[in-house]
Amino acid sequence: MEPTLESPVSPKLSVSDGSALETKRLSAWFGDHHVVKDISLVVQKNDVFSLIGPSGCGKSTFIRCLNRLHEETDGASVSGEVLIPGAGRRDNIYASGVDPVSIRRRVGMVFQKPNPFPGLSIFDNVAAGLRLAGVMRRNILDEVVEMSLIQAALWTEVKDKLKKPGTSLSGGQQQRLCIARALAVKPQILLMDEPTSALDPISTARIEELVMKLRNDVTVLIVTHNMQQAARISNQTAFFLMGELVEVGPTKSIFTKPKDTRTEQYITGRFG
Amino acid sequence: MNRSPKGSTNLSGRANIGDRVFYAGLRAVSWTTILLFVGMLIFIADLSWIAIKETGWKFWTIDDWNPPMEIFGAAPFIVGTLASSAIAVMISAPISIGTALFLREIAPRKLAGIVAFLVELLAAIPSVVYGLWGVFVLAPVMRDHIQPFLATWFGPETYFAAALAHVLTGIAYPFLLLADAFGMTSVTLVSLSAKMMMFSQGLFNGPPLGLGLLTSGLVLAIMITPTVTALSREVLLTVPDSVREAALGLGATRWEMIRLALLKTGRAGLIGAVILGLGRAIGETMAVTMVIGNRNAIPSSLFEPAQTMASVIANEYNEADGLHLSSLAFVGLSLFIVSLIVNLLARTLVRYLERGSRA
Repeated sequence: MEPTLESPVSPKLSVSDGSALETKRLSAWFGDHHVVKDISLVVQKNDVFSLIGPSGCGKSTFIRCLNRLHEETDGASVSGEVLIPGAGRRDNIYASGVDPVSIRRRVGMVFQKPNPFPGLSIFDNVAAGLRLAGVMRRNILDEVVEMSLIQAALWTEVKDKLKKPGTSLSGGQQQRLCIARALAVKPQILLMDEPTSALDPISTARIEELVMKLRNDVTVLIVTHNMQQAARISNQTAFFLMGELVEVGPTKSIFTKPKDTRTEQYITGRFG
Repeated sequence: MNRSPKGSTNLSGRANIGDRVFYAGLRAVSWTTILLFVGMLIFIADLSWIAIKETGWKFWTIDDWNPPMEIFGAAPFIVGTLASSAIAVMISAPISIGTALFLREIAPRKLAGIVAFLVELLAAIPSVVYGLWGVFVLAPVMRDHIQPFLATWFGPETYFAAALAHVLTGIAYPFLLLADAFGMTSVTLVSLSAKMMMFSQGLFNGPPLGLGLLTSGLVLAIMITPTVTALSREVLLTVPDSVREAALGLGATRWEMIRLALLKTGRAGLIGAVILGLGRAIGETMAVTMVIGNRNAIPSSLFEPAQTMASVIANEYNEADGLHLSSLAFVGLSLFIVSLIVNLLARTLVRYLERGSRA
């Protein structure tokens, strides 16, 4: 599926200093259904940036546009620009000639349901991205797999059973395995699509803790249904409603003194 | 388990009676299946009894079948069945899995629907029609074009035959050493290598007749391809989208995603699909009988006419009696056993692969 690209020719496209990601008038469709409407926002380096909003507000689709995964769905299309420093073609990932595969190596993703590769061991799951990138040397793989598992706070639990299938772990461990898998290729940006919605409270707490540590190494965009979670772990928050960006700003001010009444109604639990 | 109606806490008596009738009906139906199976087995074993007493288990190693001389050995048919089915699977498996991948990953949804429907339609063509096509269309093409071509490039005097003989010798040599260590054989490397050379040179040797082992393997391949394709497609559709997206999200190209997410995840199911096709090829009768050439000897060339277990029964049951008829029944029993063994091996393989990918 080729995405429809209607990027207006802008003479100057380079990303402003210190930002990790910038969207300009980003829209996304499923067929005729306009699910992400004209979103422009900036994410600074080392932010933990949370996206909140009721179900179906387009926040998941939005982050799936940031690694060009949205276009893999039948009938999906995208317009607008997403600027990521170093992505090439003046850094718009939707510029013609930019290979989505190279974008997905810069922008890692963790999904709602833990999805380790069923046929692969714990080690091979973490090494999968490196092997795709052509890393074959055993000592490098060993080193990076260990580092990634340590980073994902899973190493002590699995170091004695790296040859076991990834799917033999518990749900929370599987999700941390998926985080390790994403981190192993050293992405600039990590997208997390409701990473804890399928997990129990203890696993959720571990992942939240992990995300707060990760911000030193990587910029995190996290979609969440859970407003407390957004308040706990993020420093920036964007509120989405019906495919539109209602409000974006520092997490504290969004939750304490929202400017928009719809934001206020949502965070006080009047709908959603 | 099957007494659950008594133990269950049904409040209304009427539902309880309904349940009892329903359970009794189900039990009767499933027992019918079991009784039919056992009955068939007893019947065919009884019919084979004279041959079993007369020939014994040597039946499977005697390589001659000569009714007038009362010599009955099933080796040619076992070889014919296994060889034609193996050819069919070797041709069909890559085509089927490739088509299934195309339908799952590459074809636009509409086209995929149409092609999948056509593929399933192919499975509904009666085998006698495939046989007719094999005799009147495929066989002349084989005779005039394909077999001469194969003989030129893979025949006895080609590099292919020489290379294949060396490869096979290399593969077989460790087994020879092993057997030697236990004092079980007196075959030397020289005679092993000579045997492999004979085998390799024989493969594509002989006059192009059109009808024969290769042609029947090809017709079988065409017959099982729709089934294997449809099953493989089902298997690939059960691989969750989340696993595909995991691969894509990691920076996999389309082919890498297919390898990492679809083939690795679905390998047990895909092998299962191929095995079901193999089962069908082993038992297929009509089309094979029409194109295999019906010659009761172990073929040394893929071009030679041969005979399968199913085709010899179809060919001879009509005018057989006494030991001949009993021997045919024994062939039937052997076919049953061969299918059983192939299925058991396949199940073991699938279970082994599933264990590798799950617990």
